[in-house]
Amino acid sequence: MIFKRTIPLLIVFGIGVLGFMQYYVPHPWSTAFRDEMTTWGMVIGGFATFLGIYSLSHMHATRILRQVPGWGYSIFVFIGAIGMIAVGIYSDIFGPLASGTKHEVDPFDWGYDNILIPCSATVFSILAFYMASAAFRTFRARNLAAGLLLAAAIIVMFGRVPISESVSDWLFNDRMVIPNLSKAIMDYPNLAAKRGIMLGIALGVISQSMRILLGIERSYMGGGD
Amino acid sequence: MRTSQNRPQHYELIRRIIYVGIALAVILSYFIDYRQKFTPSPESKKVFDKVESLSPGDHLLISIDYDPSSEAELYPMCLSLLRHCFKKGVIPVVMTPWPGSVGIAKKGCDEAAEDANSMFGKKVVSGKDYAFLGFRPGATNLILKMVDNLKGAFDKDYYGQPTQGMEALAGVNSLKDIKLLVDLAAMGTVEWWIAYGADRADIPMATGTTAVMTPDLYPFYQSNQLIGFLGGLRGAADYEKLLEIPGRGERGMLAQSATHVLIILLILGANIHMFAGRFGRKNEGLS
Repeated sequence: MIFKRTIPLLIVFGIGVLGFMQYYVPHPWSTAFRDEMTTWGMVIGGFATFLGIYSLSHMHATRILRQVPGWGYSIFVFIGAIGMIAVGIYSDIFGPLASGTKHEVDPFDWGYDNILIPCSATVFSILAFYMASAAFRTFRARNLAAGLLLAAAIIVMFGRVPISESVSDWLFNDRMVIPNLSKAIMDYPNLAAKRGIMLGIALGVISQSMRILLGIERSYMGGGD
Repeated sequence: MRTSQNRPQHYELIRRIIYVGIALAVILSYFIDYRQKFTPSPESKKVFDKVESLSPGDHLLISIDYDPSSEAELYPMCLSLLRHCFKKGVIPVVMTPWPGSVGIAKKGCDEAAEDANSMFGKKVVSGKDYAFLGFRPGATNLILKMVDNLKGAFDKDYYGQPTQGMEALAGVNSLKDIKLLVDLAAMGTVEWWIAYGADRADIPMATGTTAVMTPDLYPFYQSNQLIGFLGGLRGAADYEKLLEIPGRGERGMLAQSATHVLIILLILGANIHMFAGRFGRKNEGLS
């Protein structure tokens, strides 16, 4: 019990309080402590990469071994990962297979520029189709609140693109009427709502942090209590 | 429950028509060589003015917090910022806390360096006229470390050159020595940089984000924690217009106008259809 619960709780409490206090104590010891802790944090963050690689490999290897529906796609995860790691090691001028000079056409950069960037951008751009379809199906003025949301969405959507300036000029003889209306929605109702949400989240984070520091919240240690 | 299997057939047809319409609006817009007139937003202008106010030799830090999926919106911003720096002789310091973003950061530096030669007749060299520090893990810890000791956080640049004694980083020991911090983000890193970087180092900060993230920036902008921001592709287009170097941002404005208008027409059409249906049912009930 001492090693599983008490000591981890004391470590969390001690490091948490010291991490909190260093914000308010400008003493050189406090600064040195922060410097040391941030270095540790960066090293631990580096290890998260290995954890991610293990987790991804384990998940896709299991899918292939069990031949679950769509397991063929998992093979591409390994082809892509191993392929990029191999050309990355080969391309690194300081790496184990280095020729000592930078390759004129770096195979790693070529793969990144010609495979990863277009594939990622394509997948992300599909969002535009889903958004258009979802907007068509969901933005309905069924009641007053939905009508207000619909009006605000149309004004902001239209006011953000250059054509709104030409239309404003044609309708109101002033280029900036619709863009300014769009800006007013973003500057006031949007700002107020966002600030409220952010303050709520911040208060939640503070209270959750206090619960962890004081040992009330222990689910991060496992066991679910 | 309505699923894709038992959804009425006309729904599927409408969905396909919408997809084809959006595809055509985007693709055809890129074949039309027409530049729309627009006025840069005050938020974008403040970012531009701040960079414009920097003196040659000042340092501007750009954190690349986006991956290739957001390249379309954020890469033009990165390119314009770097071009502006090279034009003015400001020294950009480029880094990323994301391993997947190193390639896109390097691509930006390489392209802007080539442009500096072709556009301004300046030969810019890594380590001398700009610093590309590459990737380090640690996220918020990395930012905190940079506030205390930037060269400790990045002991070598991407190319393996030691940062100690690097000409491009002369006079820069910590984030406090940076004159402007710009976070180009498609992730929730803007708040990290504000809380752990700009506020602690007491330096001005600006940001460029994807359009969907832009509404989140207004509270920080109003409280002056951000001096300005570039919002989505329109923000990139604003910066290109202010810099008077057209690029992919301005080129994309026609496609963005076309798709926004199409979506608005679709929404209005759906609402007219809904109200017409209600009106018809009401009349049937009366008769």
